[in-house]
Amino acid sequence: MGFFSKFRKKSPWILHYNTGGCNGCDIEILATLAPKYDIERFGALNRGNPKQADILLVTGPVTKNCRDVLRRLYLEMPEPKVVVAMGACGHGGGVFRHLYNVENGVDNIIPVDVWIPGCAPNPRALIDGIVEAINIWEKKSKDKEYMKNHSKDMIKNLGVNDD
Amino acid sequence: MISAIITIFAPIFGGFVYGIERIVRARMQSRMGPPLFQPFYDFFKLMDKRAIMIHSFHALMGIMYFIAEWFALAVLLLGNDLLIAVFFHVIAVLALVIGASSVRSSYSVLGALRELMHMISYEPMMVLMVVSFYLVVGSFDIKDVLHYSGYPILHLPLVFFAFLLTIPMLLQKSPFDIAEAHQEIVGGPEIEYSGPFYEALYTGKWIEYIYVFTFVFLFGGSHYWLGAILVIFSFLFVNLLDNSSARLDFRRMVKFAWAVLIPLAALNVILLALI
Ligand code: SF4
Repeated sequence: MGFFSKFRKKSPWILHYNTGGCNGCDIEILATLAPKYDIERFGALNRGNPKQADILLVTGPVTKNCRDVLRRLYLEMPEPKVVVAMGACGHGGGVFRHLYNVENGVDNIIPVDVWIPGCAPNPRALIDGIVEAINIWEKKSKDKEYMKNHSKDMIKNLGVNDD
Repeated sequence: MISAIITIFAPIFGGFVYGIERIVRARMQSRMGPPLFQPFYDFFKLMDKRAIMIHSFHALMGIMYFIAEWFALAVLLLGNDLLIAVFFHVIAVLALVIGASSVRSSYSVLGALRELMHMISYEPMMVLMVVSFYLVVGSFDIKDVLHYSGYPILHLPLVFFAFLLTIPMLLQKSPFDIAEAHQEIVGGPEIEYSGPFYEALYTGKWIEYIYVFTFVFLFGGSHYWLGAILVIFSFLFVNLLDNSSARLDFRRMVKFAWAVLIPLAALNVILLALI
């Protein structure tokens, strides 16, 4: 909690990743960036680069092919970072639940901080979720995230057993 | 005195220019846009991230880019020779290229190669511009250019026009944002930098704004009001172009620079030398 931590809430940079949803949520995210809701008012940018992002915004049920990519994106982001799971798909699979190619939700792979319900969530709900994520983000420290009180299963899912 | 102040506080002034640019760009897209201090908020936020580097040389080259960029600006404003300032700017860009090509990420290497394409396109144009200043003013010294009582823009309309279309290449703006290409190679040379090391690149960009618009200012000669008008005009023009055009292929950029801009500037220089 240094001097610089105060400025975190002013510039949340978002990394958006679709793990095999129907694209409905992604359209809502783009609507949030567009003139009507204009999330850049709050300094939020869509960076598309895990190394420079602060908030990982995941949509979709995590297909088996996406699993490793999602894990890598999460591990590549420098701390402090927050994960936001958006849409019913991310919460246990939604309409895709128990399909043969699906991991049933984001929190089976990476730890999630904020859930945004809805299918697809309204842009206003998304902004609310981002604000909630910023509140959590402000309290986080620079330590390695996955070394801290996660369950054994989570550490195994992340593939950082021997780190 | 003023040039010393601008040099020392270049990152701060550049940050304001970038903040204004983000607001102007947002207003052109009928959005509200971020607050004016947004670049500094980003700066402080990046300070607070965990420092991850690929290897030390890569990080060093990022910081070198920032320092060399600042040094090029100092040479331009405080030093005497315009030509030397152009060459120091090359060193800054080369640091970026060497750093970006030292990692294994293919996007980063691709970005480095495209950055070299940028250099091929704009560097002859810069040198031609400086030479044309020499022909008008009779000296490479920035003080002589700023004390020249005529109107350099009246002697160099084609050079000014060509430089106006070169600015998007220097500042990575839309028809020619080929090395950065955020939707395509996700930032190019800067992709592997994170946290405090990305900051060096981020602020280096701000200094580049001051560097480029100083050259625009020189077209006003000793009439500072004309220089200021030219700077504001070119700032708005470049942003309008950035918002209204799509990215070109790098071959088209090099062709455009070598087939249109450089001949135009050369024509102006030849006419100057003849008359
Ligand atoms: S939550 Fe609904 S709208 Fe969003 S990706 Fe899943 S199915 Fe599509």
